[in-house]
Amino acid sequence: MSKILVMPSNKDQIKNLLNDVDGFILGLKKLSVNMPSYYDIDEIIELNDFLEKEGKELFIAINKNIHNEELDYLKEMLNKIDSLNVKAILYYDVALVNLKEELNLKTDLVFSEEHAVTNYATINYWNNMGVKYAYLSNELTINEIKEISENANSKLLVCAFGYIPIFNSERKLIDNYFKTFKLDSKSDKFYIEKEDKKYRIIEKNNITEVYSDYILNAIKELKELDNISYLVFNSFDINEEKFEYFIKSYKFLDEKDIVKLLENVDKGFLYKEMIYKVKKYEK
Amino acid sequence: MKNRPELLAPAGDLERLKIAILYGADAVYIGGSILGLRANARNFTMDEIKEGVKFAHKYNKKVYVTVNIILHDKELKVVSDYLKELEKCKVDAIIVSDPAIMAIAAANTNLEVHVSTQKSTMNVEACKFFKKQGIKRIVLAREVKREDIIRIKEEVGIDVECFIHGAMCSAISGRCILSNIFTGRDANRGGCAQICRWDFDLKDNEGNKIEGEKPFTFCAKDLSMIRYIKDMIDIGIDSFKIEGRMRSIYYVATVVNTYRKLIDSIIADDLNESDMDKYEEVLKRVANRDSMTQFYNGKNDYTCNYYNGREELSNQDFLGIVLDYDKKTKLATIEQRNYFKIGDEIEIFGPNINIINMKIDKILDEEDNEIDVVRHPRQIVKVHIDEVVYPYDMLRKK
Repeated sequence: MSKILVMPSNKDQIKNLLNDVDGFILGLKKLSVNMPSYYDIDEIIELNDFLEKEGKELFIAINKNIHNEELDYLKEMLNKIDSLNVKAILYYDVALVNLKEELNLKTDLVFSEEHAVTNYATINYWNNMGVKYAYLSNELTINEIKEISENANSKLLVCAFGYIPIFNSERKLIDNYFKTFKLDSKSDKFYIEKEDKKYRIIEKNNITEVYSDYILNAIKELKELDNISYLVFNSFDINEEKFEYFIKSYKFLDEKDIVKLLENVDKGFLYKEMIYKVKKYEK
Repeated sequence: MKNRPELLAPAGDLERLKIAILYGADAVYIGGSILGLRANARNFTMDEIKEGVKFAHKYNKKVYVTVNIILHDKELKVVSDYLKELEKCKVDAIIVSDPAIMAIAAANTNLEVHVSTQKSTMNVEACKFFKKQGIKRIVLAREVKREDIIRIKEEVGIDVECFIHGAMCSAISGRCILSNIFTGRDANRGGCAQICRWDFDLKDNEGNKIEGEKPFTFCAKDLSMIRYIKDMIDIGIDSFKIEGRMRSIYYVATVVNTYRKLIDSIIADDLNESDMDKYEEVLKRVANRDSMTQFYNGKNDYTCNYYNGREELSNQDFLGIVLDYDKKTKLATIEQRNYFKIGDEIEIFGPNINIINMKIDKILDEEDNEIDVVRHPRQIVKVHIDEVVYPYDMLRKK
């Protein structure tokens, strides 16, 4: 049976959900993206102690693309985290794989390259490099997830619930729009809209993030698979009370109840086979 | 003596490959029929790859093949055979994003492997990792700054390739699935539908529309590094990459030819400001969107964004391509690409000629009848040109 991990919105939520989950994934300030909350290293140390005492697992996301100027800070953070009892670090940038070897880190890594964890051969490539976990991309069909789960050598994490990240840029797209057209707003939360669908857009630490218009709900499908080690529930942009109620009660809710509770839930790519060649040419 | 960087050009098909080579590219990058990130370009059959490599090698130039999609399980079974076929074609390297392909290439072939920009490699530690895996070259992320490149060259000593011209992803390459979400086309398997160029409404949390003079979009201006080429040579970048496998032969010829001349002038130390102005003018004319430098010199601000609101111009400068020239009659056989007529002032440019400026004074149709206007697409005509021109030279508006 899969364990349950939550990406929480804040420290209170960690405490509120302690008895309902197996662990948490936390963002590290300055080195993480696409997370609902971020913590500095002192907070991570404090939370690690707390969760260890409670018998819960802690994963840390260090999943931004790293520039040279961030490497010293990254090394410092990796060394500090390595002295904790953290289960594993989710990484995007392969710099972390190199640093694990060079710094002789004992903490495991999670291959978490957002949209590139899409086949078992790549997961096994990283496994051969010492990466023992993989967090699957969201653009997979349920059949693809099943096939990967049957052939991958790493322990798998899969997002079962939450808004999914769909875009990251090092351009400050909201700020740029305001500056170009000399605009102003009292609001600090924005979304973009197309054909009545709303996509959350945020700027943080010089990164623009955009999220899906729907909350992925893949719980039912993923629970039927045998080899998924962790189901991930992401609290990003979901009303805290509703999210906590959901975590405590989803096992007893049927699909209709979930839709009633959260309205914009969707099956994401589970049943959508992507296409990529749309033109045919005479050869 | 300055290092001579490679000028690397895009080639969407065999014709463009030949044009790029003839106009001065040191190497071209192409896509095969599968596993490349431009699934909807015309691309190359295996026979065409073979022919393209043969053509390039005749001129001592190189051909790299993009095998840079992010694989799903169903694509895994074709990779090994495909790579073996590419090796038989004697391609000079493959450009790869998915490490599974790196592993399959290493296990089954002796192909040289370059890491695609899709991996968004920005730092020395990532470069060290790839070097340990036997990777020969890294196409660095578009987001790298000048200082990043210098440090990578100094500390890792691996070949680096950087974009100098063309369209820019607004996203960090590989970190965008807008196309998947909006159209069901997989961006990371070559189906990108360029949703970043669409208009959106930007609204605050209360639903109030934030309305500028033009709609919100993700879109970035194109890249043009023309004023930084000397600096990029000085810091030791190994390969200068032009973006645009979907672009026309005229675009490829013009951009390659311009950068060829510019790089050669810099190496020969005879570049002057008036030539520089001319090169810049030529590149501006062939572009249909605004362009500028971006991350390299830290110019990542609001001026880099491109907002729609005007029609992108289709380029009407390109008048025709030379197919043949008869020295006795001084008539060049031309395939028309845009309307031209008697009396038009034109320029002819090509890899082996200095720019010819002339006024069109005589045009014959295929039956050798004199005509005044060439208005039919790809119409074959003969045009009187006093100076010798060669196949693949091009006519453009002055």
